[in-house]
Amino acid sequence: MAIVFDGVTKAFPDGTVALHALDLAFDPGEFLVLLGPSGSGKTTACRLLAGLERPTAGRIMVEDQDVTNLPPRLRGMGMVFQNYALYSHKSVYENIAYPLRIRKMAGAEIDRSVRAMAELLEIGRYLDRRPSQLSGGQAQRVAVARALVWQPSLCLMDEPLSNLDALLRLHMRTELKRLHRELKKTFVFVTHDQEEAMTLATRVAVLREGSLIQFDDPREIYRRPANRFIAEFIGRPAMNTFDGTVRGGVFHADGFTCPLPGRPDGPVVLGIRPEQIQIVDASAGDSARFAVDVVEAVEPDVLIFARSQASKLIVRTASDDRAFKPGQPLHLRFPANALHVFDATSGARLP
Amino acid sequence: MIDQSTNRAWRRFAWAVLLVAVVVALTPYVWMLLASFKNRVDLLSSVPKWVFTPTLSNYPAVFIDKEYWPLAINSVLISVSSTVLCILIGAPAAYGFARADFPGKEDLFFFFLTTRMAPPISIAVPLFLFFTALGLIDTIYAVVIAHTSFNLSLVVWMMRGFFAEIPKEIDEAAMMDGRSRLGAFFFVVAPLAAPGIGATAVLCFILSWNEFLYAFILVAFEGRPLTVGIPGLVTPHGTLWGQVAAVAIVATLPIVLFTFLVQKQLVRGLTFGAVKG
Amino acid sequence: MLPATLLVVVFLVGPFYYMVYTALTDLSFADASHAGAFVGFDNFRKLMRSDPFFWSSFGLTLKFVVIAVLLEFLFGFALAFLIFRFVASQRLLTTLLLVPMMIAPVAVGLIWRLLLQGDFGMLTYYMRKVGLLAQNGAVLSVPELVFPTIVAIDVWQWTPFVTLVMLAGMMSLPRAPFEAAMMDGARPFQIFRDVMLPLLRPVIALVLLLRGIDAFKEFDKVFLMTGGGPGTLTELVSIYAYRVNFRNWDLGYGAAVAFMIYLVVLILCSVFYKAVYWSNSKPASAF
Repeated sequence: MAIVFDGVTKAFPDGTVALHALDLAFDPGEFLVLLGPSGSGKTTACRLLAGLERPTAGRIMVEDQDVTNLPPRLRGMGMVFQNYALYSHKSVYENIAYPLRIRKMAGAEIDRSVRAMAELLEIGRYLDRRPSQLSGGQAQRVAVARALVWQPSLCLMDEPLSNLDALLRLHMRTELKRLHRELKKTFVFVTHDQEEAMTLATRVAVLREGSLIQFDDPREIYRRPANRFIAEFIGRPAMNTFDGTVRGGVFHADGFTCPLPGRPDGPVVLGIRPEQIQIVDASAGDSARFAVDVVEAVEPDVLIFARSQASKLIVRTASDDRAFKPGQPLHLRFPANALHVFDATSGARLP
Repeated sequence: MIDQSTNRAWRRFAWAVLLVAVVVALTPYVWMLLASFKNRVDLLSSVPKWVFTPTLSNYPAVFIDKEYWPLAINSVLISVSSTVLCILIGAPAAYGFARADFPGKEDLFFFFLTTRMAPPISIAVPLFLFFTALGLIDTIYAVVIAHTSFNLSLVVWMMRGFFAEIPKEIDEAAMMDGRSRLGAFFFVVAPLAAPGIGATAVLCFILSWNEFLYAFILVAFEGRPLTVGIPGLVTPHGTLWGQVAAVAIVATLPIVLFTFLVQKQLVRGLTFGAVKG
Repeated sequence: MLPATLLVVVFLVGPFYYMVYTALTDLSFADASHAGAFVGFDNFRKLMRSDPFFWSSFGLTLKFVVIAVLLEFLFGFALAFLIFRFVASQRLLTTLLLVPMMIAPVAVGLIWRLLLQGDFGMLTYYMRKVGLLAQNGAVLSVPELVFPTIVAIDVWQWTPFVTLVMLAGMMSLPRAPFEAAMMDGARPFQIFRDVMLPLLRPVIALVLLLRGIDAFKEFDKVFLMTGGGPGTLTELVSIYAYRVNFRNWDLGYGAAVAFMIYLVVLILCSVFYKAVYWSNSKPASAF
């Protein structure tokens, strides 16, 4: 009883390969987020699942049924599009009612369903309007209502929040989470925004250049990124990484060293999240000396961009009475349990 | 998507229909082309002759012996000069419409449209009287002026769209760099709109080249373009169809070739900029 | 801008007002006693009340416009849809289809005259072969056939225009509503009816209007093929106006006829303008 991508490859006529043999399986009821930068194949994966594209190779299974060659209308999935894709010539009411009309539902039943769904999404007041008279947030709610009104078992959302302004995006995010809890449907959500992924998902599939590189729950992705790419992609600001070499249990990078016991000698990449770096006194041992470059206040925290020769990093710390001035020396300690080590060539996480 | 076979059957049906459409669209023209290479016997054969020994004699017979070659030159002169005038006058006007904002602008714009849409016959009468009074009747100038004024609104409508697509910031940047508004138009905006201007010019040329009624009424003899010359060859008895066909082919082939050039811009031109191709 | 306006004023507005003025006179080149004296609305009165030729030509023109434009639209839309749906590279195909509308209407008239000749017309030969034509004469001199024939030829010439514009309209439609309809469960026909047609409505209105205006002005082809005959069976208003002005040289009355034609086109024209504006104010339309 799962949704399965089985070796799915998608190559477009122009030669670009959007997905390379994707294997991915998730359960009904999940809030799955497909996360990746542009060109990672996340939208393609979503459209393949919807049936709007056909895979070049591989199969897509929904609850043990092969749906690879099924047209969208026979797959029983709703979809919310990035640009809403409302029918500009129909009223909001008719937009939401359309999937029900297609299914030849009785008029009274349609009316009940449309109004109930509009109620749930707080757009009951706009039912008579035209899509062109709606704000972005309202249009997005109509799109969600239309996708869900006919009770599909699965709802696809292709970057549904990216056209909204920041405040609305936060609000809709919460709404979607509530909706998922109340409707108990499977949601598949595509985004390039790691914050959306981390807050919404029950599980996140991170894609890069058409391949799945990590599939896990959000906490695990944050705490144990599978490779350097994810480490540098997730987190705000992202993880600091340094190319360097281990010699005798000590990591040497350009401009600083850091104890790294139990590692064989050789080149590695060291990573540490900005919020886990500690600022210590000059007298403290084990500290690396950096110089403050730029300071940004992002209350209640402060971001310090510091450098030591070619090594640059960001420190995130609580904003308090301390003053950091450009050029001022900064003594930093990298706690051993906060360090991530990646392979220097492949970027894969080293245990 | 669900069943490939239905889809393939549809595709085959579609191509069959389109093929028929192309054949229907082209056959009459091809027949005329063939006729221009037929001798009298092949032409008058009551069973249509698709295969025959071609002759080139119709072309010199009509263009040299009957002295039709000046008509071709007239056609070129009329089309080229009215096109040049249209662009020279129309492009700055269109630029004005695209950029300036003044009361009554849309009304004036609409008025431009009506001049193009007015039936030629209703303008032809007064134009005839007018040019008679000026003593320009039966001269090429009368036709050039008439064509220029009826194509002008097309230029203005079409070019306004092209200019509107060029961001205002480009002129503003040019003016910040020290050019005048007019300088900005000639040295910065116009070169950017060159493809659009070119397409408009070609369309103007085609419309002027194909025009019949104004030319027919304004020039009876001197300065006749090809379109006016063709009917003169058709007489109730003993029309030399090979020669008619030869003139018709010379009068249409350049246009058919031009069409390949401007096909992309054609929709916009023919719908007065309302639909972008 | 100024020279453009001046030129239009001198050569289009000037003649226009002159036409209106002439329409109020008895100017005639055929009758020396009618030198252009002011007669008020006499010409219009005669036109409205006692000119059967004008009204029959007007009716004939309306019939011509409605039938021809409707057929052009049906064929043109169907072709555009087939190309849009099934043809990947459209350039060569559409260019070939465009040939009829790009060649001079005069040439079109001649081509069809040649095809429909009585003794040696290619088309008459095949029409007789398949039994469509009984007589031995030229198609254009058979009273029952002549009007359908000029309609058919207009359809032949202008169907490509509808195809071209509709195809452009279809190509510029946003993809999203179609995909949304697929996800909503619509079948291909439902998508066509519920999404495509409504979205194309402005372009359809535009095509019908442009073709209507143009067909109303039809002169060149018919003038060359039939001259309005046999009798007045194909005498469209433009041809009638030509006859009054340049055959009878009754310029005062002819100007009144010309003015009436202009008026009809002006009305169609303002509808066109409204239609364009109406659709411009809608962001998701094809304009």
